[in-house]
Amino acid sequence: MARVGGLLVYLRTMAIFALAWYGLSLLVGSRLLLPSPLLVLDAVRQSALDGELLRNAGISLLRLVLAVAVAALTAIPLGIAMGLSRAWRDAFDLLVEMLRPVAGIAWIPLALFIFGIGSRLPIFIMFYSAFFPLVIGTAAGVRNVDARLLAASATMGVTGVTRIRHVVLPAALPAIMVSLRLAVAASWTAVVAAELVGAPSGLGYAIEYYRSMLATPTVMAFIAMIGVLGFLTDAGLRALEARLMPWAKDIRP
Amino acid sequence: MRTLRQLALPLALIVLWEILVALSGSPRAPRPSTTALKAVEMLADGTLLAALATSLGRVFGGFVLATLLAVPLGLAMGTLPVVERNLDPLVESFRPIAAIAILPLVILWIGTGNLAAVTIVAYAAFFPILINTIAGVKRIDRSLIRAARTMGISPLTRLRTVVLPAALPSILVGMRIGLGIAWTAIIAAELAVGAKAGTSGGIGQMMFVFYAYSIQLSGIVVCMAAVGLVAMLLDRGLRALLARAFPWSHP
Amino acid sequence: MMTVPNEPKIRLEHVGKMFDSFVALDDLSLDIRPGEFLAIVGPSGSGKTTVLNMLAGLDRQSSGTILLDGKPIAGPGPDRGVMFQDYALFPWQTVRGNVGFGLTHGPAGAGLDRAAREARVARVIDLVNLGGAEERYPHQLSGGMRQRVALGRLIANEPEVLLMDEPLAALDAQTRLVLQDEILRIWRQDQPAAERRTVVFITHGIDEAVYLADRVVVLGSRPGRLKAIVDVDLPRPRNEATRATAAFADLSRSIWELIRDEAIRATVE
Ligand SMILES: Nc1ncnc2c1ncn2[C@@H]1O[C@H](COP(=O)(O)OP(=O)(O)O)[C@@H](O)[C@H]1O
Ligand SMILES: [Mg+2]
Repeated sequence: MARVGGLLVYLRTMAIFALAWYGLSLLVGSRLLLPSPLLVLDAVRQSALDGELLRNAGISLLRLVLAVAVAALTAIPLGIAMGLSRAWRDAFDLLVEMLRPVAGIAWIPLALFIFGIGSRLPIFIMFYSAFFPLVIGTAAGVRNVDARLLAASATMGVTGVTRIRHVVLPAALPAIMVSLRLAVAASWTAVVAAELVGAPSGLGYAIEYYRSMLATPTVMAFIAMIGVLGFLTDAGLRALEARLMPWAKDIRP
Repeated sequence: MRTLRQLALPLALIVLWEILVALSGSPRAPRPSTTALKAVEMLADGTLLAALATSLGRVFGGFVLATLLAVPLGLAMGTLPVVERNLDPLVESFRPIAAIAILPLVILWIGTGNLAAVTIVAYAAFFPILINTIAGVKRIDRSLIRAARTMGISPLTRLRTVVLPAALPSILVGMRIGLGIAWTAIIAAELAVGAKAGTSGGIGQMMFVFYAYSIQLSGIVVCMAAVGLVAMLLDRGLRALLARAFPWSHP
Repeated sequence: MMTVPNEPKIRLEHVGKMFDSFVALDDLSLDIRPGEFLAIVGPSGSGKTTVLNMLAGLDRQSSGTILLDGKPIAGPGPDRGVMFQDYALFPWQTVRGNVGFGLTHGPAGAGLDRAAREARVARVIDLVNLGGAEERYPHQLSGGMRQRVALGRLIANEPEVLLMDEPLAALDAQTRLVLQDEILRIWRQDQPAAERRTVVFITHGIDEAVYLADRVVVLGSRPGRLKAIVDVDLPRPRNEATRATAAFADLSRSIWELIRDEAIRATVE
């Protein structure tokens, strides 16, 4: 019942928004400046039909998955090492603290010089954007693991890699998942900028391309696609979180 | 001894970088030595600080605007379930759209001047502040509200004297996140405008100009370092300011 | 303080409270006299807090009527002050700010100028022995001091009725004894009954109830209901010697008899 009511409220709000937009578009009277929602829907349909929408979305998503996967495979182990060992922390802390505040986006010009225009540039920028939230979140999560849990497992003779796998990782998992969601959000923000400046394909490229063609309805269709995919990836991660950690309910960043 | 261990890796990487670029023989590639010289030059002729000032001015303008819009709206959404229920769909629809994605529309509607920049920044900072304000209001210890009610304090006064201060720590977290995102957004916007739509000024465009027109790219690295330094200073500065202004929020 | 003799300050007539279909309180009738110190004891879940919240106007009864000075209670008001079980101090206010909160922002301070308000706050801070801690924040205070701040905040507003929900529960035994005497002093134990405020005091401690109160209301649980009202005719002013008397021990024991079964059952569940 509550769900049905919620859906109704949702539809009502979005209907009012669409109506207001429609009215405003009539008032403005320029399909270049503010196309009506119907025109944008039509643009969605057309770019869906000619495959542009899904093709570019697929490219951006693929880059996201690649970049985040590489970031996770490097950052999580490093974070665990930094969380557990003073020596690792000492070795990497300064480097991390120096590089972290430099936004991934600020690497775009240098990366253009190194990689040129293509897929490697956005993947690198997204990797960089995802890496630091993951390292820092993982290290903090591991350091905050209740010392009594470590001591308790030591008294049971559980040490070394086994302890990392069965005590440290599960205990730090909530923090790691939160940082994973932050990392994906940061990556997703970076992809638009990176593709907009330095890639021949992808959602960011598409909105800039259609802007230069003055095809505002299509620009809006692609912007909406960015929002939808951003929402869906986060929803997917939240679902994953719930499956991985049935014991930790509703942890928000 | 410990300091040495901490410095070892960054220093080794810097040395490696210098050697690698020297071996490659590329005249454009930046290296630590040329970067240091370039930094001195850019500081001396004032171009770096001028570009930073332009970008920072935009960030502050947009950030203040975002705060002025998001905090009252967040208070309303947090206290009044009707408002929240009805506006939540819109917030959740726009929140996943990164500020840089709406850049083409902003250029179309407002152009590429300061107002456009402030708009991008405000959009970027708005959602973190809003979300954290709502969460802060909802997490308020109910008994504080009840205590105020038993003293006969009116709803509007309660909003000012209980709800706002009780939600403040969370609002401030939102403002810190928002400021960080705003700084990233302005660089992205300046960079994108600089690359695609003409001139924008600011540190972001400066970086792109170095890429596009320069035979020597160490200026880009100077800009990157400046971007990182400013991000760190903004975060530390805001944190210190808030700790001084709200001593009770640090148990 | 306006008091008409023989008129109850508060009258509960067949008051019941349900949360959905759960009966938290069943048919409570009770008169609270002006200037009376009334204690309510009972096992956990017997509806003590529920009664207090209704008197405060924070919750509405599901059935029956509650009259204050002959008029139904419509909501919270500055004529009734509440001291909450968890203190509910404002973390962003200092001791001074917490004590003066109602005077500064509420109707209790209406008609007082700034100097008068500050003078009253200073006097109250003195009264609850918090001199020297005025500028500290709640997180910088010990449990006992927080308790005093909550007490000070309550009395600074000078409500006619003081509603206190296990105000001393979280304290160590020694501090509790000290604050019991302070509460009696603030209630004006030394003055004639017509000068006193009306106090409704919830507690787990039977000794505490007997030591403080004129009457002890004993509630039972499941559902919350009135079990007995015990008159405490120990002479006033009471002091440490009172606790040593045989009458004190007898009263405490008889109240314990009344709730023992349920209290024990509550611990094993
Ligand atoms: N808001 C509420 N919703 C549902 N049940 C409640 C609520 N408040 C209290 N109760 C229930 O009513 C009963 C009495 O509660 P309470 O008055 O707090 O008891 P006491 O203060 O005597 O421990 C308890 O069983 C409690 O669980
Ligand atoms: Mg209770």
